[in-house]
Amino acid sequence: MKRLAVRNLRLCTKDCLCLYVCPTGATDTENSIIDTTKCVGCGVCADACPSGAISMVPVQYPPQQKKAEGVVALANALAESKAVQEGMARQLAEGEQAPGLFRLLTAVYRSVRLVNEDLLREAGYMLPQSANSHKLLKSWLETPPSPDFPVEAAKQLLERIPCNETE
Amino acid sequence: MSKWICGICGYVYDEEKEGVPFRALPEDWVCPLCGAGKRLFSPQEGQQPAPPSASGPISLQGEWTELSAGALSAVCSNLARGCEKQYQEQEAALFRELAGFLAAAAPPVPDGSVDRLLELIRQDLSQGYPALTAAAQAEGDRGTQRICVWGEKVTRMLEALLERYRREGEAFLRDTNVWVCSVCGFVYVGDSAPQLCPVCKVPDWKFERVEGRR
Repeated sequence: MKRLAVRNLRLCTKDCLCLYVCPTGATDTENSIIDTTKCVGCGVCADACPSGAISMVPVQYPPQQKKAEGVVALANALAESKAVQEGMARQLAEGEQAPGLFRLLTAVYRSVRLVNEDLLREAGYMLPQSANSHKLLKSWLETPPSPDFPVEAAKQLLERIPCNETE
Repeated sequence: MSKWICGICGYVYDEEKEGVPFRALPEDWVCPLCGAGKRLFSPQEGQQPAPPSASGPISLQGEWTELSAGALSAVCSNLARGCEKQYQEQEAALFRELAGFLAAAAPPVPDGSVDRLLELIRQDLSQGYPALTAAAQAEGDRGTQRICVWGEKVTRMLEALLERYRREGEAFLRDTNVWVCSVCGFVYVGDSAPQLCPVCKVPDWKFERVEGRR
């Protein structure tokens, strides 16, 4: 499976072993981001890195796990509840004058969004490459939900991200 | 309103957040991060586009999906994170654009109040999570059980914090900070972020401080 080297700048301690071992010079760049056009995926840099800052990531991902319909239905119901809470907290924060409550409500809507993202990830939207994600984008392309919907974004995503499942 | 970037360390001076236009800063002002002088800053190129459609709620027509605009916004921001983790920055930006549009398209909530918010949170704790956990256990779906474990803890904390605010009012949050774990959503009130997130165990730098209104 084709892989690419990725450097985590938070872990990188500039030991430069990756520069010494890279056969194509992909690791030696002005912005410290490994050049994916040069990387051949050999993994020598990741093995040599003393700070464990380089990992090899796959270019293709396996299909995501199938989810049971009953679980997805309950997860979706909970997701709708979270969406209402997020909207309500956001709206309350916007109109709130008390500085403490403003920050607390802001924290609430951000928190609820994060929880909801996690919930929906497990409810069939883990991978951007999944059939579900593609189905959603295609539906928006075919029937834009409103006249000013950013259809172009959906179109570009479909072009850029390959689907890794057969529907 | 625009952003100015430090040419040495990349610090971002956000005029909107700071409340003072960059050009109005005194000439001896220096970068708060690295001490570089004002002249080493330059305006951010390709300023971020305005969030799509600030013109108010949009009506979404048709039976195009079973999820509402608000939930679909979270689907898209989740997929944006999925792209980020795969180092697909442009794809992430496109999903964020969709998420922003859908968030603006969600209809306003009519009867919003802290009490109503607490009611909904309690409903998740008494019904939503127990039902989903039971179904996930029956299916042996440990991924869903994990988000129930995390999500329920985070939600309990939200309930406790809102209740405490109702008892103590502004005094509860005076002279202290509110933090959000950027991974699981755990909210913490205190001067500095916890060393490890109590819920998902990520380190303190994964916490974001909630800024006050300018």
